[in-house]
Amino acid sequence: MGFLEAVWDILTTDSTYVNTALFAGLLAFAASGEWVAERAGTINISVEGMLLSGAFTAAVGYDITNSAIVALITGVLGGLIIAFVQAEMSHRLAADQFVVGLTLNILVFGLTGFLDRAIEPRTEIVTVWNIPLLSDIPLIGEALFGQPWPFYLLYLLLPFSWWLVFRTRWGLEVRASGENPGAADVSGIDVNRRRRDSIYYAGFTSGLGGAFLIIVQIGRFDPGIVSGRGFIAIAAVIFGGWTLRGTVGGCLVFAGALSFRLAIQGVGYEINSQFLQSLPFLVTVLGMAIFAHRVRPPAALATPFVRGLK
Amino acid sequence: MTEAAAAPTDQQTKGGRLTEWLMLYAGSVAAALFLTAVLVETTGGEWRPVMSALLDGSLRRPGRWGETLGTMAPLLLVALGTVISSKAGLINIGQEGQLAIGAAFAAYFGLLIGGPGPINVVIVLIFGVVGGAFWAGIAGILRFRRSVPEVLSTLLMVTIASQAVAYALGKPWLLLASEANRGNRNQVSEQLGADNRIPRPDIFGNEFPISVYMALILAVAVAFALKSTTWGFRLRMLGQNPTAARRVGVSQGRYGMAALMVSGGFAGLAGAAMLAGGGFAFGNYQIVPGFSGNVGWTGLLVALVASNRAVAAIPAAFVFASLRTGSGFVASTGVESKITDVMQGLLVLALLIPPAVMFIRDRRRARAATMART
Amino acid sequence: MTQGLGSTGVGESTGSPAPKVEFSGITKRFGAVVACDAVDLSFFSGKVHGILGENGAGKSTLMKVLIGLVLPDGGSISIDGTIQRIHDPLDAARLGVGMVHQHFSLVDPLSVWENVALGDAGRLDPEAVRARVGEISDQYGLHIDPNARVGDLTAGLRQRVEIIKCLRRDPSIVVFDEPTSVLTPDESAQLFDTLRNAVAAEGRTVVLVSHKLDEVLSATDDITIMRQGRVVERMNTVDADAATLARAMVGREVSLRSEAGALGLITDDDSVDVEVDSAERDTTLSLTGLRATGPGGVTLLDDLSLDVGAGEVLGIAGVEGNGQRALADLLSSLVPLTAGSVRVGNTVIDHTKPGAMARAGIAVIPEDRHDSGVVLDMTVTENLFLVDQSSVANRGIIDMRAARDHASQVILDFDIQCSGPDAPMWSLSGGNQQRVVLARELSNNPKVLVAAQPTRGLDVGAIEYMTDRIRHAAADGVAVLLISSELEEILDVSDRIAVMHRGRIVGLMSRAEATREQLGLLMGGAVA
Repeated sequence: MGFLEAVWDILTTDSTYVNTALFAGLLAFAASGEWVAERAGTINISVEGMLLSGAFTAAVGYDITNSAIVALITGVLGGLIIAFVQAEMSHRLAADQFVVGLTLNILVFGLTGFLDRAIEPRTEIVTVWNIPLLSDIPLIGEALFGQPWPFYLLYLLLPFSWWLVFRTRWGLEVRASGENPGAADVSGIDVNRRRRDSIYYAGFTSGLGGAFLIIVQIGRFDPGIVSGRGFIAIAAVIFGGWTLRGTVGGCLVFAGALSFRLAIQGVGYEINSQFLQSLPFLVTVLGMAIFAHRVRPPAALATPFVRGLK
Repeated sequence: MTEAAAAPTDQQTKGGRLTEWLMLYAGSVAAALFLTAVLVETTGGEWRPVMSALLDGSLRRPGRWGETLGTMAPLLLVALGTVISSKAGLINIGQEGQLAIGAAFAAYFGLLIGGPGPINVVIVLIFGVVGGAFWAGIAGILRFRRSVPEVLSTLLMVTIASQAVAYALGKPWLLLASEANRGNRNQVSEQLGADNRIPRPDIFGNEFPISVYMALILAVAVAFALKSTTWGFRLRMLGQNPTAARRVGVSQGRYGMAALMVSGGFAGLAGAAMLAGGGFAFGNYQIVPGFSGNVGWTGLLVALVASNRAVAAIPAAFVFASLRTGSGFVASTGVESKITDVMQGLLVLALLIPPAVMFIRDRRRARAATMART
Repeated sequence: MTQGLGSTGVGESTGSPAPKVEFSGITKRFGAVVACDAVDLSFFSGKVHGILGENGAGKSTLMKVLIGLVLPDGGSISIDGTIQRIHDPLDAARLGVGMVHQHFSLVDPLSVWENVALGDAGRLDPEAVRARVGEISDQYGLHIDPNARVGDLTAGLRQRVEIIKCLRRDPSIVVFDEPTSVLTPDESAQLFDTLRNAVAAEGRTVVLVSHKLDEVLSATDDITIMRQGRVVERMNTVDADAATLARAMVGREVSLRSEAGALGLITDDDSVDVEVDSAERDTTLSLTGLRATGPGGVTLLDDLSLDVGAGEVLGIAGVEGNGQRALADLLSSLVPLTAGSVRVGNTVIDHTKPGAMARAGIAVIPEDRHDSGVVLDMTVTENLFLVDQSSVANRGIIDMRAARDHASQVILDFDIQCSGPDAPMWSLSGGNQQRVVLARELSNNPKVLVAAQPTRGLDVGAIEYMTDRIRHAAADGVAVLLISSELEEILDVSDRIAVMHRGRIVGLMSRAEATREQLGLLMGGAVA
């Protein structure tokens, strides 16, 4: 069929949206936490490692107990362990956050690969929970309401993240720490403590994301299952202009492109795979270049805060 | 990137302070090694054969230290580039991408232009520099024209780079080798001709490309340039006091852009050196998918571990290279070779701890002293 | 030490006899610089106290000690008669101390009420905070929209937010730190009304820290003048006027006067016996119609015109904060002009190009050497060729040995105390750092030398040395522009004296014509 027909066909098929939701789901888990971390002024490069660590510990948890809930919990723990190293080393011990982040990624990759050979956890994909009525909505119904149940955690996590940052005192202090740590400090806020807190939150959500990857999306552990999606999550936050809505939008756009490509392959067309894989990053770089003065990062992003000597 | 103050406080003697530093380093490294050993033991292996294999693979067995040196060269080159951009006050974390583009340019133009052996090698290297500088230059334009933080742009461009190279590997008009030369692989570039490779003279049974010498010489040259040339001096001024630099005529746009491009150029040169230098670690004089193999990231770590000092980067690069070449032998002990990645990671973290702890301790001591007086 | 003139009468009012806040012997050192030197000071409830002094006089540091941002090296603070240890802003807040900061306590992207809520504890209740903002607004006449984004507000409104943020905790002691530096006259007047209301109606202790004479005169009950870390004078505001204050603030104590004053003795009656050099000079530096603005639209330079001749020392007197910093920065290629031109000889200099001023032969000893004068992490040798490497470099390569030799010679010539040419700059004292700057700036045979507050923070010997060198430079034909808030220094060295006020020159006279009275009046803003 003609290209336009193919496109229409794809846009009117449920599976396109289901796949988009799945891909976006993982990104959203990671990106929501990273969003909070960047609002606090840190760039948490170890998201990649957090995802992978969470995936591994979730797999191990499932292997031992055959329970998806336990897998989620152990996944969170996996993410938190990495967050611990990143947060304490960068924002208590004043080590460079990029070195720590990059090293953690390499470390986690090696460690999980190593332990995977030793342990070889077995997992499976969790059951689908169809929400009645809603999942019958054409096109997006199954995508949003007919997924394995851990997917629905996002419907809690995303609003919760927003509420944390905009409706609590903690969130106010996090935002102040990211925009003007000096002013926040003078006002009596412990800037580095809020930054550490936000990294722990990122560890929490990314740990969930890793678990999601195992028990919802892929079903098996392999050290390569994350392969750069942590970085895409970072790109999504930047693409979204450091707003949660924009971040989720970014996740959907990037995931949509992936899903579209899968579908169009099925009809015999080919979108260049490399173009697709670099799309999130290309779009983000272009976005930053064009909207440089309208899209504004938190003013103190990536600037370590050390209170002046007394 | 913080640098701990080196001045001793009034309570400490210089000797006492030195001891404190040494103890911290010894303790951290020991902890890293200990953790690695624990990891090996608890998963059914034995740490002694693993350590032995590491030493075998990196230094002891015949021909291995040559291999290690050959691996050290690109790591050192990437590190040198990082040192330069850091001294100018810029954060470049895109070396992995700049290296890939450099290698791609080197392969493409090297094969395209041809020419007699030695000249072709030089062309390959030059285009490596051009490719890396070009890639970093994009981030530079974004930074100095559009105020996009270079830490973000260089990072994002890493994936774009690897995808661009992968794309090129699929196109015969770009990098893809002809059917006949492909062997049974799908995506490889042409091999560099036998004459068009960096010579690998044999020294005491060890073979390594002369790009090693080039890297060592460049390390000294960079150290010299930063310390003793007007350009290096003005660059350091820019990094340490941009206001004074502006007063004196050092334009942040020009000098910063130059520093970024030089930094990328070094990473690109590393890519070209990997391509033309051969050795088991770097494929066979041809670009393959995943060619950059984390050399860019690791080179960045080398620079940071060496506190952004050009000469200190030499031993640091050597240590990291040893881990890479040693890991090849670890598999034979029955232990998963990924353990060396773990060890590398733990070592880097271990090396970060002493300066960080000293920094905190110094400030606590100063604060306590002040509070005691009130 | 602390019982300056006029200490009687302060505190002996109908207010409570015991001081609310008492500083005893507060001392604070930053490296070799003594910011506060055994300061004794008392504040009383129901009064507006003014603390007057230049930048570096120690008043800001003193207040930072009170608010817990700085820990003193010696002395103590008592509040309500009990000695207190204030280790951080939270301690200070608990003791009822509140400070309205100059510009580092507001987060721009947040709204007014969010900023006001920063630093509180407990659940975030936007309605309650908004209500409290409204309360305070009404009480003090500080109307503001609680939902407005702080970054969008004018300077005056931003300050209102600062005040509300300070007052919401109901502090018994309120410190205003340089509050009017970014306000228009109307906004300033409004502010002073607020000060009065905060005091009169409620018996709080208000402290106004400033370097502006007019506001201290209009808003306070009594004035304490600090200079170089010490309290030098106290008086009731009713007894004070601009000229007296200006003199007290910038004059040097008698004991510090340079004995080698080559221009003759400067006696109390200001009559000067001076060799007036009336020779015609070539104009080296021409400043014409300079206008410059700072962030937020604040006017820095307002149609400033001035000519400096070769071999003359033109002293610019003035209370700090009237554009002197901007002028020096402009001549360092750090601040762009919105109008006007700078000429050396007959050539106009491009003020937008980095380093253009330096290349045109304008040497600068900057007011804040750490900002643009030295690179602390570099060595003495390197700092000596910061501006121009051509003297030590051959085809781009620096001859370190020659540079070091040169540095060693300079160290001898200028008597710089340091461990050698490789000593890192941060290990030198302020006075020695200044000597390095001086040596460097003079070494390139400049046509113009701009010396901005060159002796600030220096000890007596260093001051004399600097003054001497400045004279020598002029004798060598350099056009010297001396910007100083030390009136003695200006009177000591200058051939001509200009007074700068609110970004323009308000008076220009030869040394012979200048009297302290007249200068004081001009500096205070009076029309001559």
